[in-house]
Amino acid sequence: MAEGKGGKPVSASQQPTGTDKAVVTRRQYFRRKKVCRFCVDKIDDINYKDVKLLSAFLTERGKIVPRRLSGVCAPHQRRLSNAIKQARNIALLPFTTR
Amino acid sequence: MRIYEQLFIVRPDAAQEEIEALLEQLGGVIAGAGGKLDKVEKWGLRKLAYPVEKRQEGYYVLLQYAAGADVVKEIERRFRVSDLVLKYLTVRIDERLKWLEKRKKQREKRAQRKPAAARPAAEGSPMPGEPVVKE
Repeated sequence: MAEGKGGKPVSASQQPTGTDKAVVTRRQYFRRKKVCRFCVDKIDDINYKDVKLLSAFLTERGKIVPRRLSGVCAPHQRRLSNAIKQARNIALLPFTTR
Repeated sequence: MRIYEQLFIVRPDAAQEEIEALLEQLGGVIAGAGGKLDKVEKWGLRKLAYPVEKRQEGYYVLLQYAAGADVVKEIERRFRVSDLVLKYLTVRIDERLKWLEKRKKQREKRAQRKPAAARPAAEGSPMPGEPVVKE
C-alpha cells in the first residue's frame, strides 16, 4: 500500500514522516490509520463479563469511547456498546464516575 | 428449551450457608421444570462499580442453565423477593453460542484455505515492506 502511494507525484508531502503506516490526509498533518482491535485480534466474543477488555473502551469518566477515537469498526462497536451496557447493569462497570 | 446465563449479586454480608441454600433452591426450581443446570460459578466478593443499596461490594454468582422462559420468570421473581440478592442479570445465550460456533468454523475454514491457495498472493505485499524495515 505504501508503495502504491509513493508512486504518485503528490508524495512530496509524504516523505518527511517516512513511516509507511502514516496516512496522508488532505491537510498538512499526518494521521496513523486506526484499525479495529477486534478485527485484528480476531475477537468474536465481546462478552459483558470481560471487564478487562471492556474497560479499555471507557473513558476515565466511564463513558463509552466513540468509534472515531478508538477506531473500532461499526459491527464491533455495536456489540461492544451492548456488552458495556450489560456490564453496567450488573455493576461490573460504572455508569459514571466522579 | 433455551440456554440462559444468570449473573447475580448476593449481599456481601450473607453467610456462605445462605448462599448455598439459595443456590439449592434455584437448582430445585430449574430441575423441577425439567431444565438443566450446566454451570455454577462463584466469583466471590468483588467491588461494585457503583454502590448498590449502599453497598460497595457484592458476592457474584454466575449460573448457566437450559430451561424454558417460565423458569426465568420464576427465578427472577425469587430474586426480587429475596433480600439476599442485590441485583441480577439474565442473558439468553443459545443464539449467541450458535453464532460464535459459526464464526469459529468460518475462521478455521479460512485458515485452512489460506496455506493452500491464498498464501503466495497474500504474502506478496508484506514481503517487500518488512526486509526494508529490518535492514
